[in-house]
Amino acid sequence: MIGGIDSPTYDASTLPADDNVNPYAFSIALAGEWFVSKGAMIAYYGQVEFAGVSQYASRASWVAARFSSPLYVQDWVVATGQGKVLVADRGYDINSYDLDEGNLTIKQTNLLGFQTSLELKQSIVPGFVTLLGTGKFLASSNGPVIFVEPPFRADPESLLGWADCPSPSQHYDHNWMAQSFMSGLQGAFGRESGEERQYDFTGAGTILLQSSEATRVDAAMLRTIESQTNLLDNQSAGALGQRLVARAQRQ
Amino acid sequence: MARLHAEKRVLLADVAGDSIRAMSGSMVAYQGKVEFKHAGMGGGGGFRAALKQKVAGESLTLMECTGQGRVHLAYQAQDVTVIGIENDTLTVESEHILAVTPGLTLDVQFAGLRGMTSGQGLATTKVSGTGQLGIVSDGPLIGLEVVPGQPLVVDPDAYVAGLGQLQMSLVSGVTWRSLVGDGSGEPFSLRFEGHGRVYVQPAER
Repeated sequence: MIGGIDSPTYDASTLPADDNVNPYAFSIALAGEWFVSKGAMIAYYGQVEFAGVSQYASRASWVAARFSSPLYVQDWVVATGQGKVLVADRGYDINSYDLDEGNLTIKQTNLLGFQTSLELKQSIVPGFVTLLGTGKFLASSNGPVIFVEPPFRADPESLLGWADCPSPSQHYDHNWMAQSFMSGLQGAFGRESGEERQYDFTGAGTILLQSSEATRVDAAMLRTIESQTNLLDNQSAGALGQRLVARAQRQ
Repeated sequence: MARLHAEKRVLLADVAGDSIRAMSGSMVAYQGKVEFKHAGMGGGGGFRAALKQKVAGESLTLMECTGQGRVHLAYQAQDVTVIGIENDTLTVESEHILAVTPGLTLDVQFAGLRGMTSGQGLATTKVSGTGQLGIVSDGPLIGLEVVPGQPLVVDPDAYVAGLGQLQMSLVSGVTWRSLVGDGSGEPFSLRFEGHGRVYVQPAER
């Protein structure tokens, strides 16, 4: 006899279909294909196969048209088959959203899965991806999601994403800028309070925030920034390298 | 008679002249006169258990709390569940064991060579006897039934406990190997067949 576990119990038929099991886990009723973030699956019933996006694309040519982000190919898999797939992320809140002929930009590390009717593109803002079209997607947040409307300034760490409004511009604190001018300092290394840089939203739309500043290390961020250094000439690249070494040694 | 009960994310253990074993370093407060002593590796399962644990790469160190009073135990503000076991056996991922009462014996189950190659999370602890077991989970537990003809596949990092007549096997199909890529994917998953129930947490260790 084993007793005392009052957690709800499910089987393949009683698990919710495309709905939350509890605030921290979501059950996908798989009948076909879903794009799923690598490692987000915690359990499944049924006949389900997981294949790397690039591997799957060689079998199904539509993948290349839907998954238009070479940067994140290695972080995603395609789940195919019939069954129920449970998805979770570090015990964070999981929310599902329905897009209807819309677009939404979201932090890549918080996106856990999306239907193949949606199209994924890399956002110009590093670390963010844009979903276009009609369909359902899943995203995690550390604490409940807060929805706000522009004009609004958001902390980059707590920003989850935005919908239907122009991409943000960066805003720097007035005092911080004034000090920079006075002291004639160039660059920002070592002088950051952590709050002087904000994302500034204007226009009409919705901004999504999480109620915490906890983020996950984005493996693709390094690749993004590295590819951007191609814009520098050799001398500048060398100078950047020296500054980065100096920073790493200070820490 | 030692008693456990959960209060939100803290496990309260009452000892009355006897002792409980708890995860080393999990005591956050205590009332009364209680002594804490390192209980050695393998949860007191003797040298053989300690050896098996070494081989299986299982990390379970327990301390013995003896005396009169109440001990407050917690681990990283994780959810606490108290399980009552009566002449039965429960399989638990060792990292989730917060406390056990004296009537229960712990035995590290050796998952074999395959367990070693695939790293942590595949050697589990068998808890049997009569008593109470306090376990922690990152988020509320989700129970998943396994019945014949309806196998369940679980990520080893989300697996917490299992009960009933379950056969566990490792799945390492080609489809999974392709996920290894960046080292962040999980190359193995656990497949459960038979009749029983598996508990998972909505997070990965």
